[in-house]
Amino acid sequence: MMMKIRITLNGKSISLEVPAHRLLLDLLRDEIGLTGTKEGCGTGDCGACTVFLNGKPVNSCLILSGELDGAEIVTIEGLKIGPELHPIQKAFIQDGGVQCGYCTSGMLMMSKALLDENLNPTEEEIRFALSGNLCRCTGYAKIVQAVQDAAAELRRMRAEG
Amino acid sequence: MEQLTIVGKPVTRVDAEEKVTGEAVYGYDLVLPDMLYGKALFSPKPHARIKRINTEEAKQYPGVVAVITGKDAPWTHGESIKDKPFLAQDKVRYIGEPVAAVAAMDEDTAQAAVRLIEVEYEDLPAYFSPEEACKPGAIPIHENFASYRKFDFIVPGSMPNVCEHFKLRTGDVEKGFREADLVLEERYYVPVIQHAAIEPHSSHAQVDPESGRVTIWVANDAPFRALHEISEALGLSQEKIRFINPLQGGGFGSKGGLKVETIAVALAYHTKGKPVRVKFNREETFISTLTRHEAVIHIKSGVKQDGTLAARQMTLYWGAGAYAEKSPTVCIRGSLPAPGPYRIPHVRVDGYAAYTNKPVAGSFRGYGIPQGAWACEQHMDEIAKKLRMDPVELRLKNIFVDGDLAYWGEQLHSVGLKETLIKATQAIEWGKPPGFPASQLGGEEARRLKPNIKIGKGFACISKPTRTPTTSKAGVLVNSKGEITVLAGTVEIGQGCSTILSQVAAEELKVPLDKVRMAPLDTDMIPFDASTTSSRSTYHMGNAVRRAAIDAREKLMEMARPMLEAKNEELACSNGKVYLKDQPQMALPIGDVVRRKLGNDGIVRGDASYTYEIGKDLDLETGHSDHASAFYMYATQAAEVAVDEETGRVRILRMSAAHDVGKAINPLNCAAQIEGGLAMGIGSALHEEMVIDSQGKVRNPSFLDYHLVTSLDLPEMIPIIVECPEPEGPYGAKGLGEPGLAPTPAAIGNAVADAIGVRICDLPLNPERVYWAIQQKRAKGSSRWLTEVA
Ligand code: FES
Ligand code: FES
Repeated sequence: MMMKIRITLNGKSISLEVPAHRLLLDLLRDEIGLTGTKEGCGTGDCGACTVFLNGKPVNSCLILSGELDGAEIVTIEGLKIGPELHPIQKAFIQDGGVQCGYCTSGMLMMSKALLDENLNPTEEEIRFALSGNLCRCTGYAKIVQAVQDAAAELRRMRAEG
Repeated sequence: MEQLTIVGKPVTRVDAEEKVTGEAVYGYDLVLPDMLYGKALFSPKPHARIKRINTEEAKQYPGVVAVITGKDAPWTHGESIKDKPFLAQDKVRYIGEPVAAVAAMDEDTAQAAVRLIEVEYEDLPAYFSPEEACKPGAIPIHENFASYRKFDFIVPGSMPNVCEHFKLRTGDVEKGFREADLVLEERYYVPVIQHAAIEPHSSHAQVDPESGRVTIWVANDAPFRALHEISEALGLSQEKIRFINPLQGGGFGSKGGLKVETIAVALAYHTKGKPVRVKFNREETFISTLTRHEAVIHIKSGVKQDGTLAARQMTLYWGAGAYAEKSPTVCIRGSLPAPGPYRIPHVRVDGYAAYTNKPVAGSFRGYGIPQGAWACEQHMDEIAKKLRMDPVELRLKNIFVDGDLAYWGEQLHSVGLKETLIKATQAIEWGKPPGFPASQLGGEEARRLKPNIKIGKGFACISKPTRTPTTSKAGVLVNSKGEITVLAGTVEIGQGCSTILSQVAAEELKVPLDKVRMAPLDTDMIPFDASTTSSRSTYHMGNAVRRAAIDAREKLMEMARPMLEAKNEELACSNGKVYLKDQPQMALPIGDVVRRKLGNDGIVRGDASYTYEIGKDLDLETGHSDHASAFYMYATQAAEVAVDEETGRVRILRMSAAHDVGKAINPLNCAAQIEGGLAMGIGSALHEEMVIDSQGKVRNPSFLDYHLVTSLDLPEMIPIIVECPEPEGPYGAKGLGEPGLAPTPAAIGNAVADAIGVRICDLPLNPERVYWAIQQKRAKGSSRWLTEVA
């Protein structure tokens, strides 16, 4: 069944006509052409497809387009702050949190979700928050370090206003 | 040596920014104009004759462009043995083998049409263990094996289903056993696991109807090998084939060779020039790409009372799966050093790669070394126990040091093994009682209340050769803005080669790193490279890029000579400038040199090729070669574990990994490689296994059921870089990609045995297996636990 929906995607409002059963992941990648959101499994088990839906991180491979009318979606392509990389992005580069990079979009979105709620996470809390995001390359240590460093930077930015 | 400016520095990755913004385009992301969508039908039978295929209904389905079977793609391919059809011909040999394929206007349509294809099979007996498959009387999985085209070095031998028999013969093992004070014999098993790169597999292909040219877009780690293989299979000259490499979301060996590529190419011959994309989903990636070889390993050693090794005999059965792919070379390169990095006067090794009716096994990070080490390094600890010797002392008595003649006939140099052994074991406070803060186990108090928690330490050593001899070629371009472009066929699979090679070019041309970029990988434009495998790239391609950059630099200096009015004065290059050595103020930026000589769009190109010339293949009868490998990588990893005897759960408390890299061109990247390898090794030690049932079906083809390590599963990791320079390597570098996971399971196995007093010979060390091993010890007092191989 085709459906007309209106969504806000990375701050821009757009209207679409889509099959109601189309997964949000496929909608983003195949219909809209934003391939920064990755597909690792398509079954909700790897976190590579993590995006923000109405402010909360979700696996976009588990969301149907039919549910999306009026939704606000942010993807990796919307993570930058203006032309500047987000501190989380910078920290992933600095600390070596990126290797093949295929899990990176999902990792960044999930890290942002954590830091949105908790700017002072312990290592345990970071590891717990990222435990649904699989990475086959890094061994996670440098990713955890990057989230810690990004948290420190965000705290500094907040303190400076 | 000249002061290094960029080589040796922990610079951040050159490809990181495009990856953190989502701009990077991977194979799985690629959309081509006008493309069609392909889907395959996979065999539900492990071994069966195809009696009939009916595609009529699928062909009628609206939106379908082509439906093909093996008859429409009558080609076979393979690297060392040409045994694998593009689509099944007459019979299927494993569950997951592609049998037919559909191209359609969209993916849903293609999938719907695939379901309409009917196939009738006639079952044949199937084999699921390599040891079973080569028993006398077993029926052949490949009836026409004898007629397949093969590389010269293939020695199938006389047993059924064996596609390679590797032999190593040094001294006289029987004599060695007679002279020994202790003879010990054991059997170990390593199950099938998978690479599980987070990006699944996909390939795009297009055939130009007029020129017949075939273009393939795929994140393949060896595009030149793939090109060669397609060319041989199709009988098409190499100029008619082009591979374009989008980014690769991890591979670990799985993305070499041809899997999904053959389906895409076969379909592209039936789409009137339109490109076709074939994507495997996760389940298809599990059942129909590549796996790591399962291995059944028998090991027998003779040792003197003082710990000196007298003799070692090993028989290794490598499960090739249904097609040979890399099995012959995994069998050779994995069996050769399986007796371990030790001086042993009498050695006999027989490695058999045997076809089974399981998914195809291929190259996997480590290329057979982890399997051999699982057996050899636990066996070493068992010997130490019998001799009442400290396992470190036993290793120190026997390990390779500079100048040793290895049992395959090569004199070794640049051996950093001893240093890795000492540093890795020190890092976990070897010899001291559990150094780990009891608080982490719930406090001293809690530990006293929990007598079921047992702590143990263990370690393992390895050496790993690289593919030899092989060639890498490279080009380095300098434009009039002073920007550098590196043309190199090494594939960025996440390992960081684009950063390492950029550092090398920047070092030789004395420019900042941000002036260097890597050209995209397209076989029409990029010079030949053997493959991005075997940890060979830093060494081989590093040497090629370095020499190409030096070639460009020398050309620039020659051009600058008249501009600087230099006669016999010596010129030098630094900070992006060419200058007179004695008058450094007489300087020209390299971009200006190019512009003044060749104009604004001028380009100076340096070229080079690197081959480890003296590398020699192994002798077919003895397995000997005096230069078997361009270099050897050495490593020791050590683990401290806590085992809960009530649940069988193993928790790793801390783990060190000391790796001899020759020279760390980028220490940050080295640490990242080591940590990533460790994580993979820990997964393979504790829980990874492709569960294949007695009918040959993979029972856990998803990330829900195939357990990869998560951020919660890992201990404190202590990467240690050891630099024992390799004189031939660029700046002394060796390689590092693979060894990170090679000694890991054995180190953990030794720690677990230390903790619970039982030797577990099968992987993985999951709670169930560990629990039953403890129960058996309690019931029978046995100190060994060996489950039967499925
Ligand atoms: S693709 Fe959505 S969780 Fe893996
Ligand atoms: S960087 Fe490759 S999967 Fe995480």
